[in-house]
Amino acid sequence: MLTIKNLHAQVEDTPILNGLNLEIGPGEVHAIMGPNGSGKSTLASVLAGREDYEVTQGSVDFDGTDLLDMDASERARDGLFLAFQYPVEIPGVSNLNFMKAAINGKREHQGLEPISAKDFLALVKEKSALVELAGRLRDRSVNEGFSGGEKKRNEIFQMAMLEPKLAILDETDSGLDIDALRIVSQGVNAMRDAGRSFLVITHYQRLLDHIVPDFVHVLSEGQIVKSGPKELALELEEKGYDWIKEPAV
Amino acid sequence: MSQSSAAQDFVANVQAPQGAVASLAQEGQEGMGALPVPTRKSERWKYSPITAMLARPLRTATAPEGWPGDVEPNPVPGLDAYRIVLVNGHVVPEACDLPVADGVVCMPWCQAVEEGHLADLDWSGYHRREWVGAVHAAHAQDGMFLHVAQGVTLDRPVLVHHHTTGDQVAACPRHRIVVEDQAHAEVVLWHSASNGATGMVNGVLEACVGAGARLGLDKVQHEEGEVFHLAHEHVTQGKDSTFRIHSMTVKGHWVRNELNAVQEGQGAHTIMHGAYLPKDREHVDNHTTMDHTVPNCTSSELYKGILYDRSTGVFNGKVFVRQEAQLTNAYQQNANIVADAGASINAKPELEIYADDVKCSHGCTVGQFDEEALFYLKSRGIGDKAARALMVQAFIGDVLEGMGQEEVAQEVETLLADRHGWS
Ligand SMILES: Nc1ncnc2c1ncn2[C@@H]1O[C@H](COP(=O)(O)OP(=O)(O)OP(=O)(O)O)[C@@H](O)[C@H]1O
Ligand SMILES: [Mg+2]
Repeated sequence: MLTIKNLHAQVEDTPILNGLNLEIGPGEVHAIMGPNGSGKSTLASVLAGREDYEVTQGSVDFDGTDLLDMDASERARDGLFLAFQYPVEIPGVSNLNFMKAAINGKREHQGLEPISAKDFLALVKEKSALVELAGRLRDRSVNEGFSGGEKKRNEIFQMAMLEPKLAILDETDSGLDIDALRIVSQGVNAMRDAGRSFLVITHYQRLLDHIVPDFVHVLSEGQIVKSGPKELALELEEKGYDWIKEPAV
Repeated sequence: MSQSSAAQDFVANVQAPQGAVASLAQEGQEGMGALPVPTRKSERWKYSPITAMLARPLRTATAPEGWPGDVEPNPVPGLDAYRIVLVNGHVVPEACDLPVADGVVCMPWCQAVEEGHLADLDWSGYHRREWVGAVHAAHAQDGMFLHVAQGVTLDRPVLVHHHTTGDQVAACPRHRIVVEDQAHAEVVLWHSASNGATGMVNGVLEACVGAGARLGLDKVQHEEGEVFHLAHEHVTQGKDSTFRIHSMTVKGHWVRNELNAVQEGQGAHTIMHGAYLPKDREHVDNHTTMDHTVPNCTSSELYKGILYDRSTGVFNGKVFVRQEAQLTNAYQQNANIVADAGASINAKPELEIYADDVKCSHGCTVGQFDEEALFYLKSRGIGDKAARALMVQAFIGDVLEGMGQEEVAQEVETLLADRHGWS
């Protein structure tokens, strides 16, 4: 699904990713943990196509195509989704118009007609039920005045609407209360299937109690320094990051 | 050639009007001689020099042979309105559809002058203040006269469609609207021009809104060609009246809108909203004056602009709160997005407050598109153009929403979408 080889990226001449390798197979759930500032969100942004980050070396293959060759919207249309660590507020753009434009962008890419109003509303109803997104939030401007947790829930709603092949969740658990964490996790788990992969960035084991990963990786100073089974997350929670010194070879 | 001799040559070929308008034209001629031709040195014209306009002499705008076949008299699909249409400043009677109702007088301005409906040809005094106003008065043509009697509500809006066509046209339309006490009228002012049209449209609209009366104007400028468009609206308001204008510049080579509203009766409310989205090398200037002269009045002013390519914009919003005008509540906001590095805007709010117990707020912003928001939209599979379109619609949405006629707002949005490739 996703093969990252020797990825180097920088922002304004500051290297942040320093030779990162990662392989995610179809249907797999990978978790990435790591200290603040280690480059987790940068990795997510580079994969999603944010232009501030310059890739200086390496390659990323997404389901047989060169991911780095596409712009952000093409990547999304090809099935990549990023749930932002800090979702953006866009006053004046209604959540529903936003989602309709997104879905029609994807449908255009697939050579399909724009979605009918009826089908769209049915889809909204189904997917917002999945993450228990209140109607009043759907109808407002994108994320405007949403609480932190509401924004995160809205990210998962968008993911459910767009049904990506690969979803990257950047600290979707932060800011969620216990019930919201359960609901969001259920939403993700409901979407798990053999063809869909997840990259879950988190600081906390508790999310991984709900969304059980196949692999856990530790990112430090722009590299994956350790990888292991789901138990690695428990070990990290207990011991912190200090014991992992050298990059894995 | 000096600017003043250019200014003389500029209208030398344009015939002075005859008949009922002759006295106004005479005053205009005098004004042209007495008033200074605007240059870059005059504060009010600093950012909108008229040198390029003066450089090419105008011709008299000949009376057209009917309405041009390739232009829709009603440019707004679905708009159910009365209609008065003009080409190059001349009314085309056969393409008009005037209201006939008790308490409503609607006819060409010249006819109204001849029939004695106008006691005074001029209210705004524009030709005594500004050289371009004098140029207008000296060549004033025809327009709409609308009088709505006390307590009468016009059942449909009146569409005033002015079309400019031809080479170096001099079009000087002149309108007057009188809405008597407790009456209500909605007017759509639509300006179009043919491909390749050049010259000047220099129009004046005077309106008087009586006590408890309401007047709404949806003004749209959508002109092809390379026409210099000078517009002056002058509105006086009585007690508890409401005046609203939405001034939308969809397309125009060079536009200078000058809008004055004077509140003369307590409890009056004024809404001045507008949007401008110039591209290429177009120029749009909005000069507004909100004059609070009596207590307990309110005003809301909101102008939004997006400037593309190498276009230029000016916003100058004067708000006077006279000493008498206690308990005024005045709001002014001007927000601009400079979309391309070659574009620019000169924005200047000017508040002059002489009363002490008032609430006035104003804000003026010049910025770029929010890149974070654009990335967010794109990361969901929305293409760059569509993402920008969503942002633009969100930005000018609150201006469009307040327009009087939904069909007009819809058409403005459609024209903008076509023009900017959003659709
Ligand atoms: N646009 C930027 N400009 C300058 N520095 C940046 C930018 N984006 C990221 N950085 C820097 O790159 C480093 C990695 O940041 P990143 O956001 O990827 O960390 P993270 O692992 O997601 O951290 P956290 O756990 O706190 O979310 C940090 O030192 C950060 O300050
Ligand atoms: Mg982060």
